[in-house]
Amino acid sequence: MNSQLANYRESDWFGPLLITVAAIVIVSVFNPEFLSPYNLQILLLAIAVNALIALSQMMIIAIGQMNLSVGAIGGLAAISFGGMMEVWLIPWPVAALLALGIGLFAGIANGVLVAWTGISAFVITLASLSIFKGINLGITEAQPFYKIPEIVKLLGNETFLGPLPWLILPTVVVAVGLWYLLSFLPLGRFILAVGGNAHSAELSGISVAKTVVAAHAISGLLAAMAGIMLVGRLQLGQPTIGDDWLILSFAAPVIGGAVLTGGKVSVAGTLLGVTIVVIINQVLVLFNIDPFLVQVVLGGLILWAVGVNRWREVRAQKTEKRLAA
Amino acid sequence: MLRKLMISSCLAVVALSGNAYADSSTKVALVPGGPHPYFAAWEQAGADAAKDFGLGSAEYKVPQKWELSMQNQMLESLVTQGYNAFLIFPGDPVGTVAIANELADTGAPVMALAGCLKDPSDALFCMGTDTGNSAYLGTKELLTKLAGGKGKKIAHFTGFLVDPNTQLRIDAVNKAAVEAGAEVIQVIADIDAPEPAEEKINAYLAAHAKDVDGIITTAWVPAVVASNALRKIGDKRIVMVGIDHDKVVIQAIKDGFVHGTMLQNPYGQGYIGSFAADKLRSGCKVKADAPFKTNALTNKFIDSGTVFAGINEADNYVASMQKITKTLLASFEKTYLSC
Amino acid sequence: MNNTTKAADRTADAFGPDVQETSSQHPAMRLLLTNEFGLIALILVFAVLFTLLNPGFVSKFSLFAMGRTAAVNIMIGFSMMVVIITGGLNLSVGSIGVCAAMAAGWLMQSLGLPWYLSLVGGLGVGGALGALNGIVIVRSGLHSFIITLASMSIFFGVMIFLTHAGSFREIAPEVVAPGRMKFFGVISPLLLITFVVAGLLSVLFRFTATGRQMLAVGASPQAAELSGIRVQRMTVWCHALSGVLAGVAGLMLVSRTGAAIPSMAGQLGQDWLLPAFLGPVLGGTLLTGGRASVLGTLLGAFLVTMLTTGLLLLQIAAFWVQTYLGLLLLVAVLMDLLRRSYLARKKLV
Repeated sequence: MNSQLANYRESDWFGPLLITVAAIVIVSVFNPEFLSPYNLQILLLAIAVNALIALSQMMIIAIGQMNLSVGAIGGLAAISFGGMMEVWLIPWPVAALLALGIGLFAGIANGVLVAWTGISAFVITLASLSIFKGINLGITEAQPFYKIPEIVKLLGNETFLGPLPWLILPTVVVAVGLWYLLSFLPLGRFILAVGGNAHSAELSGISVAKTVVAAHAISGLLAAMAGIMLVGRLQLGQPTIGDDWLILSFAAPVIGGAVLTGGKVSVAGTLLGVTIVVIINQVLVLFNIDPFLVQVVLGGLILWAVGVNRWREVRAQKTEKRLAA
Repeated sequence: MLRKLMISSCLAVVALSGNAYADSSTKVALVPGGPHPYFAAWEQAGADAAKDFGLGSAEYKVPQKWELSMQNQMLESLVTQGYNAFLIFPGDPVGTVAIANELADTGAPVMALAGCLKDPSDALFCMGTDTGNSAYLGTKELLTKLAGGKGKKIAHFTGFLVDPNTQLRIDAVNKAAVEAGAEVIQVIADIDAPEPAEEKINAYLAAHAKDVDGIITTAWVPAVVASNALRKIGDKRIVMVGIDHDKVVIQAIKDGFVHGTMLQNPYGQGYIGSFAADKLRSGCKVKADAPFKTNALTNKFIDSGTVFAGINEADNYVASMQKITKTLLASFEKTYLSC
Repeated sequence: MNNTTKAADRTADAFGPDVQETSSQHPAMRLLLTNEFGLIALILVFAVLFTLLNPGFVSKFSLFAMGRTAAVNIMIGFSMMVVIITGGLNLSVGSIGVCAAMAAGWLMQSLGLPWYLSLVGGLGVGGALGALNGIVIVRSGLHSFIITLASMSIFFGVMIFLTHAGSFREIAPEVVAPGRMKFFGVISPLLLITFVVAGLLSVLFRFTATGRQMLAVGASPQAAELSGIRVQRMTVWCHALSGVLAGVAGLMLVSRTGAAIPSMAGQLGQDWLLPAFLGPVLGGTLLTGGRASVLGTLLGAFLVTMLTTGLLLLQIAAFWVQTYLGLLLLVAVLMDLLRRSYLARKKLV
């Protein structure tokens, strides 16, 4: 029992979990409204979309690369989804599938270019960011698509079972799926192995190229999914969807313990990282922070969150050393 | 004869007018700060003006990102391409002054459109919306609806703080509130982008919907998101005044979730601006004693029209803006130019 | 699939063992294989192309404007480069740049200090903020990514709070003049400043012990530690240098805009992030650290500025420009790859 607890304490997600719980307790003491069903619904909605964005980036962090085009893919999928429904009158499930297909294709294109040319993913996805965003602007001329079917709007905003929004369902499925993939499936092991050390992965018979393409494909798919869900939530096919994702997409996995050089990521940690960021954003509103100070407080809270986690790690290491000695 | 044609050709496409003038060498560039739906009407306005007044061309050139350096680079390349008149929405009221002055040095007439440059600058004038005044008038409308506003609590959702106009809007809303004895209980800024707006506005309403009587929004995206949020919680008690003409906001006005919106006149800006550019290139000068207005940024301001549109105007706001454009154009040359 | 990894090895490190082995026999070949040579070739190819499509591309004004824009982008690239060589990142370059510019503006306008002292003060603020980043990173042991992400928000937030987004316009004419001046109608003084800084950085990394120690820290902190280098101190120095260079870029923009404005690098200084990474990465600076190419960064940033200007001149439908820029960037890196594999193959024959 004791050792099991120790096991938990060593896992990546334990620190972020502590921070999340502490944040929830502190905030709800000062403002009980925080735990009202409606606010929980708002929180979960924000987490549902942001989690997909963060997981999309996490898959690429896992192979030790970066995907700068996450937001551009999401935005392109979002306006394609809206545009297909408005202009071509395609039924929404078909439009959603096609938009997911676009995301998947965009991801595969990234992956193939990275694997085939060997050029750093940073450069490739920077170029494709520009291409995808450019196509988005070329199609929309910065005008949103407005004719979103009622059912999509409902799915984007309604709840089932109390405060649980429908949008949380795909996110849960994706999170469980990715956890299963990374923990039990060969592809998941390959991804982490490639991220840990591409060279030795190659030597042990893993096809690095296929793994890289697969990771980028998943990343593109998840980004597209986030974009489509945002259309439902905003009730608009906004061309600016995705413009703000980049920083969040990195911050959440890193707060959740991911290592940027690859090979070490945690689905649970990333989800908690997203939750922490979302709570921080809510706190800034709930406590009526002077708008001119919002950025300072935001930065300070991020430092606090990672600082607590780091402090815990350092202490754990010291205890370990003491026990070993 | 000239003036007559001009007036009759306003807005409505007059088939003959294209032939009535020799094509001038004026190449007008209408350059917004970045891609944004607000400016979409400029494209048509430029094209119409080019046809109606016989300009060489009047084209809508959009910087691909909402970045000062991107806009600067775009403007520089337009000089190389031979554009010789510039209608610019300043990416920053102060930061765009330098490039505007450089453009003016090439001999091209430069005008600030939709938003103003801060004086001193070489821009001939600024035609647009007085951002502060629009926010002030919007807040007044809101407070009137709130039975005069005494003791009422309002929230203000606005754009990016790095934009100095945001500070002007915050001040104007506060001023209107103080005058009426109301209180601005919260300002949420930096949310002129869909995701943060959605998160913060909904979080705010979740926690504080019952504490607030009215909402004023002074940026495009917050207006859209707040309209949807009020519709979502089905709250018609909270009175909201939005900004601009996004379909979502207009529909919410018709459905009674939003009290009204502060309209601006982008089409008129582009149309009259292009007209003025051509006049200024063909020898006209801005009158020294032109009756310019003064706002927080400049004392060479021409109001392109700011009107409040409530439920009665929601259907025909386009017509009312066109009327303003017609009136402004009819007397523009006489009032502001000496030819 | 074997091809892929070969390609990966080849480009991941142009100076990999297999290349160096053979190229030591062919000094000319080694030159042809460098990133810098590739960038020069690309710049020439695209310059000719753009000129053919629109002769205005090489007009005096166009060249001047391009040089002036490139000068700032290159400086931003340098600011990121000196942190990348330690294997870290500095997301707060834009924030620091704006803070330095605003500080200089404040010193000039509100305190009435002479312009040179104000500039030094601005650079000092930049350096101090950079050093602060470095110290927190070293002390906490956290990745520079997360620290500079937070400090980007904090630095910018404090600046906005203090200035309330107001700007400083009373900038000394000595500072404003270089932003508009032209030498021979073509060369911007700002570009010359960039060249001087590039020269200094080259000297630093090539000929001084400090510079070489910085590179050693990036290549392998453990090995550097063992050989007696004070790794932590070097990391702090690199971040401080990054802050100073960001400050230089910020002050160049002050000179360019004739005012110190909070929005010159966008919300949170984010506008600088892409140019900051583009120059160094295209120029062959490894994101994992240990290798810097001053000339490469300079050429990389110039190439991107040139592509953007060229595209704007081609009168493509305005909303599609970004797509073409992305495609051109892709074409550029692929051409570079082709060049390398062609040379490598020829060498084998």
